[in-house]
Amino acid sequence: MRGVLRQTFALLGLAFLPAIGQAVYERERVAWSEQAMTEDEVTVEQARAWGDSVLWVDARPEEQFQQQHIPGAILLNEDRWQELLPEMLNTWSPEKRTVVYCSTQSCSLSHAVARRLRDEAQLKNIYVLHGGWQKWLETNK
Amino acid sequence: MIDSKRGSAFAERMNLKPTALLCAAFFGALVSSHAQLSWEKTEIELHPKAGDQEVIANFQYENKGTKPVHINAVRTSCGCTVASLKKNDVLPGEKGEVTATFKIGGRTGIQQKVVTVDTDDAAQPQTNLLLKAVIQQPVELQPAFVYWQQGEAAKPKTITLKAAKDVAITKVDVTSSSPDFTAEVKKGSAPGEFKINVQPKDTSKQVNGTLTIKPDYPQAFYATVRVTGAETPR
Repeated sequence: MRGVLRQTFALLGLAFLPAIGQAVYERERVAWSEQAMTEDEVTVEQARAWGDSVLWVDARPEEQFQQQHIPGAILLNEDRWQELLPEMLNTWSPEKRTVVYCSTQSCSLSHAVARRLRDEAQLKNIYVLHGGWQKWLETNK
Repeated sequence: MIDSKRGSAFAERMNLKPTALLCAAFFGALVSSHAQLSWEKTEIELHPKAGDQEVIANFQYENKGTKPVHINAVRTSCGCTVASLKKNDVLPGEKGEVTATFKIGGRTGIQQKVVTVDTDDAAQPQTNLLLKAVIQQPVELQPAFVYWQQGEAAKPKTITLKAAKDVAITKVDVTSSSPDFTAEVKKGSAPGEFKINVQPKDTSKQVNGTLTIKPDYPQAFYATVRVTGAETPR
């Protein structure tokens, strides 16, 4: 009996070696934990608490925006930045907070749009929706 | 190198049967074996010229294994990038390429787009290819938006136009879509730099306009000007 146990543990140990090696090698691909919020991100709950003082900006591709979007959101993505930016700026007002979103937490479109609004248009109060459209849908089920 | 004497001693001490050791070695080799599809480069950096609409990257591969590899799918991280391949089945020794086309649109700066290749190779079912494009902005407007709050003094505000290093601009014309704003252009202190001074006629009512900025370059640029409501963020 002891022999069988010893063999089992030895085999498990041997099998662990390549597994550990692979885990170290592939560590970048594994989502070990949910991504933490960055400084400029807000949750759906926080943004909703701001009520009417939020200007929602949808940074997703136009087809996705046309299918469905947060009520009142306006489209602003980098596909047609030159055309869409003036439209957004004509809707923007200084008393509002701008919240940019894209599809999911892993998409980077909202951060790119938020950065350009700060840098190029020099707007203040620009936030990114943590979890994006997916999180909005989940919290509005 | 594996020390066979030490290995035998270890097996003896652990009371392991040779077949058990063989099994462990087999499974270990199975888990850590390498992909048959070998990529010449998994990262390509491109520098499109100012005004280019798209960039194309070709990722070359070769099946260096002994079995055919089936490419199940090629996926991209962004709707702005399309990836294609000529055939899905790659025979041993065969070469091919995955073509990634990235539409620049209004993007600037460093853009990184990932193309994921899914195969039936159990050892490496997925490979990520990176297309990196460094997109130069021919002209930078700083800022691209100026506004006055209602009731604020109708003083001029300045937009600075800076041409990129290899873009020669000697002259800039500016027109406003709205008669409520006037714009005047002056040369800046640095080569390729211009100051655009914009001013609303008055700030008693909310108005907006677009400035069309036309340098001696085959592209126009736009800035937005507004007189907005008077409230401040809560």
